[in-house]
Amino acid sequence: MSILPEQSCSHCGISFRWKAIIDSGDDGSQTIFCCRGCEGAYRMICAAGLGNFYLRSDRATPTVSDASAAHYTEIDLSRHIVSEGDLCRIDILVCGITCPSCVWLLERMLVRVPGVEYVSLSYSGGIASLRFNPETVTPLEIFSVIVSLGYSPRPYSVDQSEKEARRERDDLLLRFGTALFLTMQLMVYSYALYAGYFQGIGGAMKQFLQYVSLLVTTPVVFYSGWPFIIGAWRSLKTAAPGMDLLIAMGALSAWIYSVWATFTGHETYFESAATIVTFVLIGRLLELSVRRRAMSGISSLYASAPQRATLVGESEHRTIGVDEIRPGDLLLVRQGERFPVDCLIIEGETEVDQSLATGESQPVLLICGNEVRSGCVNVAAPVTVQALRPAGQSYLMRVAALVQMAQAGKPKLQQLADRVSGWFVPAVILLALLVCAVRLQYSGDSVGTAVMSALSVILIACPCAMGLAVPAAVLAACSRSASLGVILRGGDVIERLASINSALFDKTGTVTCGLPGVIQFDTYSGYGTATVLQAAATVEEQAAHPLARAIVQYAAGCGYQPELCRDFRSVPGRGISGVLPDGKRVLCGSESFLRETGTPVSINCLADGSATAVLLAIDGLLAGRFLLVDQLREGARRVVSELAAEQMELCLISGDHQNTVDRIAADIGVLSAQGGMTPDQKLEHVTTLLQQGRQVLMVGDGVNDAPALAAATVSCSLSGSSDIALENADVIITGDDLSRIATAYRLSRATMTIIKQNLVWAFVYNIVGIPLAMTGHLTPVYAAVAMTASSLLVSLNSLRLMRLKQHG
Amino acid sequence: MDESLVILIVLSLCLGAGCWLIFIWAVKKGEFEDVEKPKHRMLDDD
Repeated sequence: MSILPEQSCSHCGISFRWKAIIDSGDDGSQTIFCCRGCEGAYRMICAAGLGNFYLRSDRATPTVSDASAAHYTEIDLSRHIVSEGDLCRIDILVCGITCPSCVWLLERMLVRVPGVEYVSLSYSGGIASLRFNPETVTPLEIFSVIVSLGYSPRPYSVDQSEKEARRERDDLLLRFGTALFLTMQLMVYSYALYAGYFQGIGGAMKQFLQYVSLLVTTPVVFYSGWPFIIGAWRSLKTAAPGMDLLIAMGALSAWIYSVWATFTGHETYFESAATIVTFVLIGRLLELSVRRRAMSGISSLYASAPQRATLVGESEHRTIGVDEIRPGDLLLVRQGERFPVDCLIIEGETEVDQSLATGESQPVLLICGNEVRSGCVNVAAPVTVQALRPAGQSYLMRVAALVQMAQAGKPKLQQLADRVSGWFVPAVILLALLVCAVRLQYSGDSVGTAVMSALSVILIACPCAMGLAVPAAVLAACSRSASLGVILRGGDVIERLASINSALFDKTGTVTCGLPGVIQFDTYSGYGTATVLQAAATVEEQAAHPLARAIVQYAAGCGYQPELCRDFRSVPGRGISGVLPDGKRVLCGSESFLRETGTPVSINCLADGSATAVLLAIDGLLAGRFLLVDQLREGARRVVSELAAEQMELCLISGDHQNTVDRIAADIGVLSAQGGMTPDQKLEHVTTLLQQGRQVLMVGDGVNDAPALAAATVSCSLSGSSDIALENADVIITGDDLSRIATAYRLSRATMTIIKQNLVWAFVYNIVGIPLAMTGHLTPVYAAVAMTASSLLVSLNSLRLMRLKQHG
Repeated sequence: MDESLVILIVLSLCLGAGCWLIFIWAVKKGEFEDVEKPKHRMLDDD
């Protein structure tokens, strides 16, 4: 794969290959950045006159707290180190990763550790892969750096990561369950207090209800909300405000204010502290299960690789582990087995199911001298093969590596909610401080009252509506899409899907069903349609080949059922022969098969590769011809026309012959088509488009599409696709109707509109509420009513998504 | 009247706490481990 040459970012120092952001100085010098964030940070540091920071050799040497990483010893870790030339590699499972920013921070900090040469961290698995110089740095020091950032590292092994994911999910489930239960209790007391505010309530009763509210809210804020408090603290340390900070600020200020109010006889806000935490935890729980599924995809690809192989010895065959295979070894692959490594057939011929590699569902005839990729299935006969590469470098492993690389190299889009809170949080804090200062200075308030009025500003500014704006719309969109036959993997998918302006479609198995169908049938030598179809049905019934099944189906559709066939014979990849009940001998197969068996073939059998011809001969005379093509999937034309109407750039990419791809492209109305593409070329096509600044939707189903799917802005697969494609898909279409992709796109656009409306509403609330709170005119009960009303409005607005129609 | 309310609130909290303990037990036991499979299980033959 050739992409841009490796460059090094002037700020963070990472090496990268994507399109750089280049700043030209006045003196003509150029500074290169990997991302906008780095560019911003660089400018900030230079503007502060700290430009020399970049010249320091010891910069960002992190403070290492040895004590916290102490439960791993050097010897423990040395077992997990893999030597790679001069460098060593270690895979570390990092717990506590909650957002793309965590990945960003960890990668940047780790790569700055002297001796660490390369860091790559996958968000989905939370697995950091590091290459380091063992003479400069020890794994224990790397561990300490991760610990000092507030994450907990563990040496990675498959079981460990599975166990950790389970523990993390259980933990979140407990926090959520507790929050939900206590919040429901709390609502009862709150309504009693609301009623008491209007109708009057005894002082002792009010006090009692407030104490009970305090009792049930405290665990919600400090136990259930603990992840947000930690996240907020982390983002304060790195000075990168995010959603966590907003949530923690809202919940904590509401809690502190309410505790103060409880003991001074004011109205409390406990329910807002609890509901914010509960609602956001639902979102976290969904996100975690999404990430977990994505992770198992890579391991499922490894599962396709066979673990044992049969080594052909001089006297006897021996079973060996796949890892022991060396290039040049002779191996026996029996019928029904998978090819263990990439290899060359040196004895025998067979049909091979290459669907894992090409997406092509028809078995292909391979003879001596043909190369076979690992993971393909030997369908017909045993063959002896010569290993070309060791197992670690075989096709499956190369695709797995490409997928991992594409995942790690994918630039993470910052989510709308985080972008908003990025400037909203500092603004609110500033305002609160201002209120506090003004009150102290001019109103002559006590410090306590001033602080409380500042807190009430923060509390009003972090309404539930804000926390609900995105999750409510996402939840509505996900459930609507499910009923439309589209599964969306998480809320961020919606945001990315709405930004798409290029769509790439794989051909085989995606735009087409991967199953052949008869498009034309002719008879020759004076035979009637009835005779030929009857004969075809009878002999083809015996064969398991997809082409045979298509012909039997076609004959059945014309009303001809198979009869008893005698003396059936099959030549792999060529054709079949059999004797009809009336004694006629029938040959059915390719042109060359008929010629070889002595049947004169006079007609032109379409050599342009756009259709497959199956010829049928009766008693040595050419009797009929079937033309078969891969059938178009339902809705293929519709999705193309609907997406084209949205000004989207469409392209068909496939590993198939260019002629075939062109024909399908013309058929469905796509202007651009590329045939003969390997998995890395598909990936390259996607990355090229991404570098041009386009947002790419990739639709594919095969193992060969997996790297391209992983790299694309949004990836889409159909149910029944290969595991690895499914696991890499952000959007999964259930059923056969391809036009659901267009529906999903329209739904995502509609969702973004709703989210923006919701956010605008939350801001309107703030614009009205904050000045009132600042001047002390917003009494708690009116604030609570306004809060509930705005949450209700946001929820109802989101429900409008449920009415989206299948076809626009 | 106030006393009966206090008793009822305390009672509801105790009842809720009991349910909460059952929930914790269920999570620890792995009842929520796979929420997808059970709904398909009744359709399986074996």
